[in-house]
Amino acid sequence: MTQNDLIMLVRATLSTLYLAAGTIPCATALAALLVLLAISRHRALRWTYAGLRWLVRGTPLALLALLIYYALAGNGIAVPPVVAGILVLAIYFSILFAEVIRGALLAIPRTATDSALSLGLPRMATLTRVILPMLLRQGLPAYINVCVMAIKGSSVLSIIGVWELTYASREIIERNLEVFQVLSVAAVLYFLICFGADRCGRWAEARLARRGYQTQR
Amino acid sequence: MADFALVLSFADAFRTTVIIGACAAIFSMLWGTTLFAITLAPQRIFSLVVGAYVQVFRNIPVLVPLYLVYFGFPMIGLVWPAAVCGILALVLQQGAYVSEILRSAAKAIDRSQQDAARSIGLSPWAVFRHVYLPQIAVYALPALGNQSVLLVKDTSLLSAIAVVEVMMKARLVVEGSGTVYLPFVIATALYLVFVLAIDIVFALLGRRVRWK
Repeated sequence: MTQNDLIMLVRATLSTLYLAAGTIPCATALAALLVLLAISRHRALRWTYAGLRWLVRGTPLALLALLIYYALAGNGIAVPPVVAGILVLAIYFSILFAEVIRGALLAIPRTATDSALSLGLPRMATLTRVILPMLLRQGLPAYINVCVMAIKGSSVLSIIGVWELTYASREIIERNLEVFQVLSVAAVLYFLICFGADRCGRWAEARLARRGYQTQR
Repeated sequence: MADFALVLSFADAFRTTVIIGACAAIFSMLWGTTLFAITLAPQRIFSLVVGAYVQVFRNIPVLVPLYLVYFGFPMIGLVWPAAVCGILALVLQQGAYVSEILRSAAKAIDRSQQDAARSIGLSPWAVFRHVYLPQIAVYALPALGNQSVLLVKDTSLLSAIAVVEVMMKARLVVEGSGTVYLPFVIATALYLVFVLAIDIVFALLGRRVRWK
């Protein structure tokens, strides 16, 4: 493996990080909207959410990636592969993030809202100062878990031609046939990102715990 | 009627997906249980090694071991069919998750049970087989069911190493015929059927172990 190959792999890693950095905020924002469906007063909206959840649970990410790839191409919509990739990941992982948020919401007793309101706290303050901190402490471990899944999921985008770490590895392997060296480096790079994300999550939990928001594992 | 013929043409691919998924699920349970059993050894070194294995496989995408086996094994003289390579890679990764699930289920079992079982003369193997596993199964089954669903979805990645399973088939049909949506609808439906079957199997298993 030449030095150029190594540089290429590091650049591909940045591309993977770029995908993750684009996906996670988009997916989280989408998830917040989806949660509104999940906790809606209307049965039809709740069922829509349940249907989406069921669909995503049974559909491989790769299949969704291909579908969106062909749908965009078939309708003559030319977007850069990176944008298509982020779109795929954001759609797929938004429902997983929504499940995390919903699970955390369910763990917050209704009385928390009621007591905050009865103490005269405005609705907005109840949300931002009572519900959100509790949501954070409940949901953070699972949230980080889904983030790591999203980073690993970005590798699937290589099959629709998004240039990231897995794609670049395969490119180099097909050129120089040094399978073990190239994939070991790729594995180490993936490990560093995912393990790093996991550690950051633990660190954030520890910080929250110090401020009194103990995470329950 | 052409649509119906299209659905039928997925039969072979679906069979491939089912065989790969079932094999990978069964072998990964065995491999995961083996890994978990190793961590129960009194020497700390064993659980450290398994712990490292689990951390590595949890933090790399399954495509990496997949390419490692598929492109790497021929270089050391092992020329296996692509589907076998795929199953091996899936099992290596899935085993790590299974052993983690079993480990967290085992936490719920009081240690004193082991001492009690040992003191009435059970061998370490008998303790594992007759005291630990039946109880662990009860706690772990729902999580194992979810993990198996994830495994089935991961079988779609075998299309990257040219195994003609459901997703590869969908791709071939799209590129061959130009109809975009229908092949994907069929493929999605087939995966949903498979996932439903797994949910049913685990629900039945769950009912069986509950009475013990």
